[in-house]
Amino acid sequence: MAEAEILIDVENLTRRFPRCEALGGISFQIRRGERVGVLGPNGSGKTTTLRILATVLAATSGRVWVAGFDALAQSLEVRRRIGYLPENVPLYPEMRVEEFLAFRGRIKGLRGTRLAARLREVVEQCGLGDCAKRPLGTLSRGFRQRTGLADCLLHEPDVLLLDEPLAGLDLAQVHALRQLLRETGGHRTVLFSTHVLAEAEALCPRVLILNAGRLAAADSPANLIQASGAAGFEETFLRLTTLPPKVQNPPARRNGA
Amino acid sequence: MRTFFHLWRREMASYFRTPVAYVIGAFFLAITGFGFWMLAARLAQGTAEGDLAGALFGSPWYWLAMLVVTPLLTMRLFAEEQRMGTLEMLLAAPVREVEVVLAKFAGAYATFLLLWGPTLAYASILRRCGGQLPPIDWGPVAAGYLGTALIGSFFLSAGLLCSLLTRHQAVAAMACLATLVLVLAAGWLPTYLHVAQIQEAVRVLAASRHMQDFSAGVIDTRTVVWYLGATVLLLFISIRLLEARRLR
Repeated sequence: MAEAEILIDVENLTRRFPRCEALGGISFQIRRGERVGVLGPNGSGKTTTLRILATVLAATSGRVWVAGFDALAQSLEVRRRIGYLPENVPLYPEMRVEEFLAFRGRIKGLRGTRLAARLREVVEQCGLGDCAKRPLGTLSRGFRQRTGLADCLLHEPDVLLLDEPLAGLDLAQVHALRQLLRETGGHRTVLFSTHVLAEAEALCPRVLILNAGRLAAADSPANLIQASGAAGFEETFLRLTTLPPKVQNPPARRNGA
Repeated sequence: MRTFFHLWRREMASYFRTPVAYVIGAFFLAITGFGFWMLAARLAQGTAEGDLAGALFGSPWYWLAMLVVTPLLTMRLFAEEQRMGTLEMLLAAPVREVEVVLAKFAGAYATFLLLWGPTLAYASILRRCGGQLPPIDWGPVAAGYLGTALIGSFFLSAGLLCSLLTRHQAVAAMACLATLVLVLAAGWLPTYLHVAQIQEAVRVLAASRHMQDFSAGVIDTRTVVWYLGATVLLLFISIRLLEARRLR
């Protein structure tokens, strides 16, 4: 069987901020239909990676293609094909849920009956039926997360980029969202960052482990446990992220871009 | 164009769904209404002529209203969205930076023009109540509204740019106020500086002098081009800054 097309292609990605280097030349590829978790300690570059893929931040050097388009030169085309959920789910507090989703649908190019149908579908899919008329400012963290996810799914994007979608949720909400992430897979590529190793292990056939802006490992949790000889995924993660990053980092190609 | 329209509608809703527009509107009408009341009082005492344009656009109350209303209308445009993080979510959607900037400007400008709407009633009130008054000269009144629309567009685009430069609404408001005071103060500089070139240069900036001309019924094409050009330039800078935000 032919391999699925590559939807995310990152080559030697570097991002420097005035006082630090957030990413030091990472490379990875993700194919259509894959569900991949991005793991790493605080400040390891997870959010920066997702923000660059979402085109809200430009790379200092290196190349990023999403759905076949250059994230810098063709950012509008990329944005048509992604759904991005930032970490704190920023929403307009004065808008109602259904009104917010309709606004987001319209600016994403949905119109008329298609917009109405998609609104019905995502509201049902994300369990927002009971709070569709409520102002966003009054929603709990879990419902804000669901609203953000509904927004991501509205225009049926090829790629979902979710920054800590499970953070701050109670057990029932985590369970519901985990189910939702499983359901939203299929032909779609899902890349999400998380601190919860058990969630990544349960949800993701493959994980990317970042440490101090370097890619420490990229494989399935089972393979990583086997390669490290550790007792479990948590110990594997600790071994990979407590070693000096230069030792673990694969030699990076320099393109001088 | 459709995206612009949807963004503009959201901007308008953010003014009128919250107390923002109503608080600004109440303040604005209190200031302009007080200026009108003073004109009416002077007319009743027979100490003034029926100069509606002068009372509306040439008084210190006019500039007080402009200096307070502009920062209040513009301070939240980008600063609030940057602080809340909604700007990141907005820019991750398939919208162009030019659409975002123009929609925000159009929202603030439409609200600004709506604020001036009720002042159209002042002329009607004067005509109804002032049987003894000489007829109103509509030319200067119309030119005054044109001048207000032009100066307003310049002021609002300056405020929008200030809002883009910070995450704090108070800082955006203060930066906008300082810029506008500078533009107004330019009108007084020729009195103190006696260098011909400087006098000529600051005369171009002097909004108070321009408004004096407008409220006298004089429409100078150079002034119109200056305000339109300055507005376009400030909006262009804002668009480029928003585009460059990804590089920060």
